[in-house]
Amino acid sequence: MSATPVLSVAGLVKRFRGVTALDGVYLDVGKGEVVALIGPSGCGKSTLLRCLTWLEQPDDGFITIEGKAFGRERTGAVVTPQRRRQVDLMRPRIGLVFQQLNLWPHLTAIENVIRPQLVVLRRSRAEATERARALMANLGLSDRSERYPHSLSGGQRQRVAIARALAMDPALMLFDEPTSALDPELVGEVLALLRQLAATGMTMVVVTHEIAFAANVADRIAFMDQGRIIEDGPAAKVMTRPSDPRVARFLDLITPGSPGHR
Amino acid sequence: MSFQFAYLLSTMPRLCAAALVNLRLAVVIALLAIVGATALTILRVMKIAPVNVVVAVVISFIRGTPLLIQIFLFYYVLPAIGLDLSPETAGVAAIALNSSIFIAETMRGGLQTIDPGQVEAACALSLSRRVIWQRVLLPQLFRRILPVLVNEITIVVKGTALLSMITVVDVLRTAQQISSASYRPFETLVGAALLFLAINLVVILVGMRGESRLAVRG
Amino acid sequence: MVFDPSILIPYLPLLAAGTWLTVKISVMAFFLGYAVGIVLALVALIPHWVPRLVVSVYVAILRGIPFIIVVFLVYYGLPFAGVRLPAYVTGTVALGLFASAYYAEIVRAAIVALSPGQFESARAVGMSPLQAMRHVIAPQILRALVPPSTNMTLTMIKESSVLSSITVADLTYQSLVIQGNTFAPFESFAAVTLIYWAMTAIVAWAFARSERRLGRIEAENVGRSALVASFLSFDRRPAS
Repeated sequence: MSATPVLSVAGLVKRFRGVTALDGVYLDVGKGEVVALIGPSGCGKSTLLRCLTWLEQPDDGFITIEGKAFGRERTGAVVTPQRRRQVDLMRPRIGLVFQQLNLWPHLTAIENVIRPQLVVLRRSRAEATERARALMANLGLSDRSERYPHSLSGGQRQRVAIARALAMDPALMLFDEPTSALDPELVGEVLALLRQLAATGMTMVVVTHEIAFAANVADRIAFMDQGRIIEDGPAAKVMTRPSDPRVARFLDLITPGSPGHR
Repeated sequence: MSFQFAYLLSTMPRLCAAALVNLRLAVVIALLAIVGATALTILRVMKIAPVNVVVAVVISFIRGTPLLIQIFLFYYVLPAIGLDLSPETAGVAAIALNSSIFIAETMRGGLQTIDPGQVEAACALSLSRRVIWQRVLLPQLFRRILPVLVNEITIVVKGTALLSMITVVDVLRTAQQISSASYRPFETLVGAALLFLAINLVVILVGMRGESRLAVRG
Repeated sequence: MVFDPSILIPYLPLLAAGTWLTVKISVMAFFLGYAVGIVLALVALIPHWVPRLVVSVYVAILRGIPFIIVVFLVYYGLPFAGVRLPAYVTGTVALGLFASAYYAEIVRAAIVALSPGQFESARAVGMSPLQAMRHVIAPQILRALVPPSTNMTLTMIKESSVLSSITVADLTYQSLVIQGNTFAPFESFAAVTLIYWAMTAIVAWAFARSERRLGRIEAENVGRSALVASFLSFDRRPAS
C-alpha cells in the first residue's frame, strides 16, 4: 500500500452554536480501502461527511486528499483558509452521494451525469456522453438514461446519483446512509452495488446502519460516538472483539440474533 | 395636503350603505355563477359535440377578454338587439357569466382528481345518473374546489366595483359622488377600499371555517 | 339590427393607437410588477416575522381591493403626495403594483418549491455558486414560474382595460370613444373584443412555447373506462 493515504483527517472540530458535533476526529483511509462509519444517530457521522466535502466548514483541524491540503492549509505555524476556487478545484476528487440523492429533476438521468463533467471538468460533450454511457451501462441504467429522475425507481435514482459522482473520476467516494431512503427490499441491491464498487478498488467511506455491509464489505469499521471516532480497526475485529464497551453495547442493540435482541 | 382621518370617518355611513349594494349584488352573482358552473360542467360531460364546441368558444372568449368589456357588451349591445336590461341586471349577468366560466374550469380540474373507482362502484350499485351526481360527485367536487371557489367569490366582490362604470350606484360611485362635492377624493377612496377589504376578509374567514369543518368530516 | 363593420374604417388609426398603448402599458407593468414582486419575494424569505408580515399585509391589501380602486388611489394619491405624472404612467404604476402582489407569491412559491439539497449537490461536484445557479437553480425556478406567470400576465392585459377610467387612451377607452361617435355599440365593442382576444391568445401561445423550450415534465395520463369517462372527462373518447 502506498505511503500517502487517499484521505487523511486530523483533529477535525465542528461546533453548531456551542454544541460540539465533531470533537477532534482523526481518520486515515488508504487507497482501495472501504471504511464503514457507524455509530448511534446524532454522533456526528453526517456532519463529518459534510465537513469532508467542505459543505460545512470545520472550526478546526485539517483534511488532506491524496497528500494535498483541502479547505485550509498550514505552512509552519500559519494556517490559511483556501480560496473558494481552490476548494472547488479539489471537490471533484471527492464524490459524495447524498442521503436524499439530490438529483437534478429538470435534467434527464444521463444529463445529470454529463452536465457536471462539462461544467466542472470542461470535458467535451462527446467525451462526457461517452463516459456517462459507459457508467450507466455498468450500473444497468442504459435503458433509463433519457428518463427524468421522477420517473425512476428509488434504486435507479440511487444508481444515477452514484454515476454522477463517479463520472468526476473521484479518488474517494463518500456515501451518506445509502440505504436509509430505500424500501427494505432494495437494500440488498444497493449493498451488492457497493460491494461491486469496492471490488473495482474504489476508496470508500460509507456512513451506514447496515451492520451486514459493515461486516461483509468494509475492510475497516470506524465507530463514532459524541463527535469522536472511539474505535477504528479491521471489520472482523471490531465486530467480534470491540475494545470499547460502548461499541459492544451498540453492536448488541443492532445485531440481529445478539443477546440484546432476544 | 394631509390625510384627514376625521373626514374619512364622516364619509363612512354613506359608504357603508352603498357597500350593501355591492354585497347584495355579489351574493346574487356568486349564487348564479355556482349554479351556472355546475350546469355547464354536467352539460360538458355529456359530450354532445356541437354543444362542447360552442362551450369551448365561449370559455375562450370569456377567459381571453376583459371583464369590463364583457360588462360593456351586456350593457350597450344587448339593448341594440332588443334586450333592454337595467344597468344592475346587465352587470350582474355579465359578471355571473364570467365567474361561472372560471368556476366551471376549476370544476373540470377537480373532476379529474376524483377516483374513477367511485363512479364504477356507484354504477355497479345501479344508481341513477342524477343520484351519482347529487350524492357522489358534486359533494366531493365542491369540497375539493372550495379554496378556489372562495378566491373566485372575492374576485366577484371586487368585480362589483366595475359596475360603477355603467352607472350602478355602488361604493365606488358613491365615493366619487362624495369626493366630487368635497374635493377630498383620496380619503373617500381609502374608505371604499377598506370596505372591500372588510367584505373580502369575511368571505375568506367564512371559507376557512367551511374548509376546516369539511376537513373534520373527512 | 345590421352588423356593418365598414363604419369602423375611419376609426382604424384610433384602434391601432389604443392597441399599441395597451401593449406598451402591459409590457412596462409586467417588468415593474416582476421587479417589485421579486424584491417582495426575497424580503418574505427573510427568516424573521416582521418582513414576512409586511409583505403579507401588502399582498393582502392589493389582492383584497378591486383593481379599479387601486387605480383611483394611485391616480389621486400621487398628486396628494406631490407627484404629478401623465395618466398612462400613473396607470402603468398602478397595474405594476397590482401585479407585484401576485408575482411576489409566484416567485416565493417557485423558490420554496426548490428542494433544499439542490444547491449543495451542485457545489459538491465542484460547481461554483454562479455555475450552480446557472445550471441547477435558475432552470428549475424559471420552469416553475412559467405557468402561473402566463395566467397573471393574461390577467394584467385584461385588467389594463380598467385604466380607461382614468382617461388612459387604451383600447377600452377607444371603444367607448368610437361607440359615442358612431352610436354603433355592437361594431365598436366587437372590434375591441376581438383585438383583446387575439392579444391574450398570442401571449398564451408564446408562454406555452417557452414552457416547452424549458422542458416540462408531465405525469402520464391514466387510462379510464368509457363509463368513468362519461362522468369525469370532457373529451369525446376517454384518454388513453
